[in-house]
Parts: sequence; structure tokens; C-alpha cells
Amino acid sequence: MEVGRLPISAALKGKLVSAGYTSLSLLSSLSPSHLARGAQTAWDMLHEEELLTRITTSSVDIDNILGGGISCRDVTEIGGVPGIGKTQLGIQLAVNVQLPIHCGGLGGKAIYIDTEGSFMVERVLQIAEACSNDMSATNTVSQDVHAGKVGMQPRDFLENILYFRVCSYTEQIALINYLDKFISEHRDVKIVIIDSITFHFRQDFDMALRTRLLGGMALKLMKLAKKFCLAVVLLNQVTTKYAEGSFQLTLALGDSWSHACTNRIILYWNGNERYAYIDKSPSLRSASAPYAVTAKGIRNSVSNCKRIKLM
Amino acid sequence: MASLKRLETEFPILDRDFQSFCALRGIFTVQDFLIHDLQSLVADAEQQTSSERFMQAINQVLCVIDGLHRPWSNGVELMEDAQKNKHVLSTGCEGMDFLLRGGLHKGQVTELAGPSSSGKTQFCLLTASTVAYKHMGGVIYLDTGNSFSAKRIAQFLNQISRPAFDEMQPIVLQKVMNSILCQSVFDIFSMFDVLHCLESKLKSQMCRGDNDEILIIIDSISSLITPILGSSGSQGRALMVSAMSLLKKLAHEYNLAVLVTNHTVGGDGGIPKPALGESWKTLTHVRLLLSRDCGSDTYHVSLLKHPSAASGKAAKFIINN
Repeated sequence: MEVGRLPISAALKGKLVSAGYTSLSLLSSLSPSHLARGAQTAWDMLHEEELLTRITTSSVDIDNILGGGISCRDVTEIGGVPGIGKTQLGIQLAVNVQLPIHCGGLGGKAIYIDTEGSFMVERVLQIAEACSNDMSATNTVSQDVHAGKVGMQPRDFLENILYFRVCSYTEQIALINYLDKFISEHRDVKIVIIDSITFHFRQDFDMALRTRLLGGMALKLMKLAKKFCLAVVLLNQVTTKYAEGSFQLTLALGDSWSHACTNRIILYWNGNERYAYIDKSPSLRSASAPYAVTAKGIRNSVSNCKRIKLM
Repeated sequence: MASLKRLETEFPILDRDFQSFCALRGIFTVQDFLIHDLQSLVADAEQQTSSERFMQAINQVLCVIDGLHRPWSNGVELMEDAQKNKHVLSTGCEGMDFLLRGGLHKGQVTELAGPSSSGKTQFCLLTASTVAYKHMGGVIYLDTGNSFSAKRIAQFLNQISRPAFDEMQPIVLQKVMNSILCQSVFDIFSMFDVLHCLESKLKSQMCRGDNDEILIIIDSISSLITPILGSSGSQGRALMVSAMSLLKKLAHEYNLAVLVTNHTVGGDGGIPKPALGESWKTLTHVRLLLSRDCGSDTYHVSLLKHPSAASGKAAKFIINN
């Protein structure tokens, strides 16, 4: 049967004929890989996964439980009570992604989307200075090929962080829609940090509308992570939930949003120490590790027992 | 749906006169013919000059329509089909297999609902590995949350084959993993695209006689449906129903098992219930509710709906790391 007689739109017919498929029998003998782009076998994906580099968090304990750091092509959600260090972790990642690959970064830029106004430039400068000091210290110790290159200055770190401030949920959704085009023009962006994703959706919202909007936003972020092979980090707040007769602390935005991320890390207090706990991951074990927020940024916690507690 | 004009080449009796006779009554396609009142059409035709030709033409169209629906089958044929084709795929987890009376049934759509981090993705990966290894069949994995982990599949495969080898030989591992195809879909329309491509591929494979694929996994279908459900107008629900009817058609015609995952929302009294609402409940054949004890490897699953088993049964199992 001729393609011209098929009950499909004229535009589609034109595309098929110009590609050379003039009859139905030609189409039916095609293998699906021609028609459905994007399917990969598990074997190919295994090799790709092994090659993926991760972004260090500057705390060796957290890197260990994460299998090396924050991974690309994943949406990672980090949640915790106020004051636990979510924004600090976000800023640390925005700085760390710019480190060269042999130092634990990806040599790329960072996009920081701020919804609450908690981004302090002075703090970023402080963390960037500490980072470049650490880098030049290790470079003098190990004489590698990069010893000839001038180390990164704090100013360079600041230049590579692209900052957006959103003030309402419509701006947030518009920005996420725009990110696709933006990142295709700025291909060296390797991490998108949204701090925090919850803020504009917590006041006065029709629940059904919120679920739909959040579901759509989650899918767009997933697509972004996969398409451009970058890491997406979402910072979330906590709320109380009434379950099993008591009030429990849980991440905000409800049950449907909890499926929007690939990995979830919960930050919590244990006595006087801050701990990070892997709550959800397709390939990592549940584990928790202590960390500390210092003047230099996120570092390992300096306590006597530095055991990693495996669940 | 074919228009009467197009049918003229195959059946010359549906000539221009008949077409204009039908056009006067608003009948342009076979579909219009179906919804028009047949008796009044026959009465009108008898009053025309060339009534005999028109009656023959009407009968011809009715024959065409008759040829379009599938043939009737009786209980014996259904039993033979069930025994020959509709086998059961073991999921790799004994507790789940026991609950499902053997495992995932080919030709049926199984839904796995559970709160976040309750083991749905782990179970999907385990089932994919088991089916690829034990049943030597192709698995299509549609991933909406970038949570397909090839590393975890390799771990499961090593675990399944451990009685035979210490670690699977790379050649065997490669062959098994090559039969698992993973594709990321991020909206319901691309899922439709993928399923239509799959349908044409399966149709051509069926003509040739070999049938590779035996399992489709969609993790999770609720994240595709939630953004469109509930807005003003019922387009969301219509898309949901057509997606499920396409999946059921693929499952039945090409002997596939389908596994979809769903999330949960808070129900009465804070007890989680599966998402996607009341209309969704009727769309799948088997429904399971999964939960996990906090911080442990023990999973609890209960059967909400099954065509041939009593609902309400529960089981416990452990998936090792």
C-alpha cells in the first residue's frame, strides 16, 4: 500500500516520502531502533554507568555512602530541618562542580536557583577561597601535569555560578521550562541546584493543582538531567505528618512529590552531630554518615568515632 | 476508519450513486454507517429507483464490518490458548510468586503500588533480571524517574545464578543484559509513541514467527498520569484509559506480561491508598500494595485484586543487598 494513501497527516506523509519510505512494506521491515530512538540495552548502560563521574561533597564520609558523590543523570533530593546545612551543601556543590575531574568535580558551571533568598555571596567567596587553597596545597604536594596551570582563583569560582532568583511559583515553572533552551546554549553547565523547591508551593494552594504542577515539574527536571547528563539537586524543607497516631517529621510537598527524585538524602541531628542518611536510591545501600559545617564549607565531622553506620 | 470512497476500489458495488445516497444522510465512512439507524436506511433504500443495487451495497458494507471484528472463541479454545500461550513468569521472589499464584501472568497487567522508597523499583529490577535470565525473554523497561540501574541488574543476575557459577561469566552476562531494553519516557505522549513502535515491531515479528519480548515494565506510570489527571475536562482520564487499553491489547495479543508501578496518597485515617483515583482501580488485572519496614530489608506486600485468587492475602519477603 502506498504511503500517500495512508490516513495520516500530510506533514507526516511528506516526512516519510522524503526519507525514502514510499510504501508500507518498506516501513514494516524496519527494525525498531530506527523508529524508536533512545532505547538502550542494559549491557550498554552498565558500561556507561561505570564511566559516569561524580561530584564530591568535600566530606569523605558522605562521598563514601554516596558511592563517590552526587551522580549525574540523577535527580537528588536533599531535605532536612532548618539550620542543618542544606544551603551550605548546595553552595559547596556549586563550587565543587567547577573543580577539575581529578579533584572530584566535573570542570563545569553551576546553575543556582534561589527561591528563598538564602544565597549569601560572601559565604560563597569564603568557601571558594578555602577550596582554591586546598587545591593549591595538593598541587604543590603532588607534581602532576596540571602543576604548570595557574590554580583556580576564588573569582573564577564565582564567575561560573549562574544565579537565578525566583519570587513566585509561576516564575519557578517558567524558569524550569526555560532551562532546556538555556542549557543547550550553555553546554558546560553540569549541575542545577534549586534551593528550595518547596517554598513557593507551600502557601495557599489548591491541592489538585499543586499535585499536577509538581508532577509536571518533576518530569521536566528528570528529562533535563537525562538529556544533558547533569546532576539536579533539589533542596526541600520538612513538615509534620500525622501518621500512626503521632506527629512525624517528613519532607514537604506530600507523597506524590516523594517520587519525583531518583535519590533522596535526609539530613538530621543526632545528639550534637549532623548526619546525612540515604533514604532512597536505586543502587546504594541505606547508610548514614556524620558531617560538619565549618568555615571552609562542608567537611568531615571531627569526632572520635568516625564509623559509618550501615542500616 | 475507511471511507466509503476508498472501499469503492475493492467493492465496485459501492459506486457513486450509493455514495451520494449515503452522503445525503450524513454517512461518509464505515463508522458513520455503524451509528446510523439501519432500518431507516433500508426503508429509504427500498424507495429509491435502484433499490436492489442499494440493498446489495448495504449488505456489502455489513460484510466488511463483520470481517473487522475478531472471531468468536468458545471456552475450549480459550482453555487451549491459556495452556499453550498464557504462561506465568516467575518474579524471582518466592513470597511474591506465592501471592501471585506463580508469578506475573502473561496477558495480564499487574500493578504494584507503594509509598516512596518501599521497594517498587527494586522489585521491578529483580523481575526484569529474573525474566531475562530464567525465561530467556526480552524485557522492555520504560523508566520515568532515571532510576534504572544497570549495576543493580548485574548484582541481581549474579545473585540468581550463584548456585551455578561463582560469578556469571561475562559472555552470559552480556547476552542476558542485552535482552533488557531500557528507555526513558518523560511524558505520556512519548510513552504512546514507544508503545506504538513496539506494537508494529511485535506485529512484524509475529508474522515471521519468532516472539522475543515477554515483559513490559513501566516504572512508574503514575508519574506520567498525575500531571494530566484532574484538570478541568476529562482529557487526562481519557488518556489514562487509552494508555491502559493499549497495554492490555499488547498483553493479550502478543502474550506479554505487563508490570506497572503506582505511588500512594493519604487515604482515610492516614492509611496510604494507591494513587490515580477510582477509575484507575478497574483498569489493571492484578493489584498489589507494597510497604517496607523503616530502615530494614523486609517488605510486606498484600493482594488487593486478582482475577483468580482471594484478595486480602499478604506475604513478607526480603530482598538482599
